[in-house]
Amino acid sequence: MKRYFKDIFQSIWTVLQGMKITGLHLFTRSCTLQYPSVKWELPERSRMRLFNKIEDCIGCGQCVRACPVDCIYMTTEKRNKEEPPIFAADGTPIKLRVTQFDIDMSLCCYCNLCTYPCPTHCLVMTPEYEFAVQAKQDFLYRFAKDEPQAPPKPAPSPRPAGAR
Amino acid sequence: MQVEAYAGEEMVLNMGPQHPSTHGVLRLELETDGEIVRNVIPHIGYLHRCFEKHAENIDYPGVIPFCDRMDYIASMNNSLGYALAVEKLMGLEVNERVKTLRVLMAELNRIASHLLSIGTYAMDIGSFTPFLHCFREREKVLDLFEWLCGARLLYNYNWVGGVSHDIPEGFEAKTREFMTQFEPVIAEMDKLLSYNKIFLERTADVGIISEEQALSHNVTGPNLRGSGIAWDLRKEEPYCGYETYEFEVPVGLGEHGPLGSCWDRYYVRIREMEQSLGLIRQALDRLPEGDVHEHIPRRVRPAKSEVYDRTETPRGELGYYLVSDGGLIPFRVKVKSPCFTVLSLLPAIAKGGMVADIIAIIGSIDIVMGEIDR
Repeated sequence: MKRYFKDIFQSIWTVLQGMKITGLHLFTRSCTLQYPSVKWELPERSRMRLFNKIEDCIGCGQCVRACPVDCIYMTTEKRNKEEPPIFAADGTPIKLRVTQFDIDMSLCCYCNLCTYPCPTHCLVMTPEYEFAVQAKQDFLYRFAKDEPQAPPKPAPSPRPAGAR
Repeated sequence: MQVEAYAGEEMVLNMGPQHPSTHGVLRLELETDGEIVRNVIPHIGYLHRCFEKHAENIDYPGVIPFCDRMDYIASMNNSLGYALAVEKLMGLEVNERVKTLRVLMAELNRIASHLLSIGTYAMDIGSFTPFLHCFREREKVLDLFEWLCGARLLYNYNWVGGVSHDIPEGFEAKTREFMTQFEPVIAEMDKLLSYNKIFLERTADVGIISEEQALSHNVTGPNLRGSGIAWDLRKEEPYCGYETYEFEVPVGLGEHGPLGSCWDRYYVRIREMEQSLGLIRQALDRLPEGDVHEHIPRRVRPAKSEVYDRTETPRGELGYYLVSDGGLIPFRVKVKSPCFTVLSLLPAIAKGGMVADIIAIIGSIDIVMGEIDR
């Protein structure tokens, strides 16, 4: 009987002690943020949306090889030697025409492995985080501006039936 | 046969896979007799993401983001284990700054992980306030990580041969600021939750893992230490220079109820956070100069060999068994998960208890399904 009341007393007492801490928090500053009207300032290293400055891209394909989920698709073709030479912002000569540079942001795992090997630092992750879209295909970002100029390669001849 | 099932004698109750207290997608098949649990069968595999098969198809650095996703609450510690294993495979030595930064981040991550585990445990038991307190503090650690490497949860920070970023300017001061304001919060948790009578009643006499049981089921981490065995890989098999740090290994003392109860496991985590703070302070004090990218190899191609390396994550002993065939892609990556072994103990400790005790036990062993199913 004595223990029964002691337990009740202890429960109330310890809960009150907790309530005291909770009550004191009435007088502290709020640590929440009213999100749509106020926004976090993200640090510059934040890894959100990918962006490729296609003018500087030399089409080396290192990002494609580094990507663990294969969400970057790249097609390049050789530039003609007669064409005027162009250079990336850091002076690297651009010898390939990037005709396709697509990133499927819906597959991206935001690991940042693609941006490190980029020799001209044209592929970066930006701190922009509000990029929700209505349809899934809108997540396919197309960065390439150049149209393919070389005639398409002839399709490989189909194998004769029964050939190994 | 069927008639007996309607007789109210025994009922099979499916708990999960979407139960909020199962910490992920764990399904428990309970055979209940009224309120008493006669048998528990855990069903796993709902979060299986083929980690090991994925790892056989990507190059060594590409596995690290997948390691992060195994135990998504403590990804810093998960990728650390993998990075150390690959370094061991290649015979690579990293410089002191990298080692110190790894210890620093692993301990910060340990605090964040234990805060989540304690917070959700309190919520499972029915106390909502500690959850908010824990998450508020955890948020500060995550902010530090975001500042450091740009991500809040899946960092991809520990690389083979180094770390991805050096600490930004002012990081040290900010971390110290966090520590000074976090220390009173641990004491606050004692008043708020640890010695709360209702919490004690729910946890102190429940889910007892005896020493023999813990050893025979290969329980590791805070769960093992809760049973009174002082085994910590940071002490026993030091890596990253842990042997040069001063810290204690907190063990369960059985202050309330028998040794190895849910409360002991919970309280080991609280005291581990204190030790982590001490480790962070020592790491910040000594932080040597150096280039964090100094030893990162251009191409990770280990010689034909195999290695097993284990580290102490917040959940226990995480082992990586790597086999290399001399190529750019690992031949085999096998993971020994700490949560999987402790989950195998659940039927043994939950039998005979109440249904509500299952919640208390699952919360106290702190499992993450991402790591069990991989």
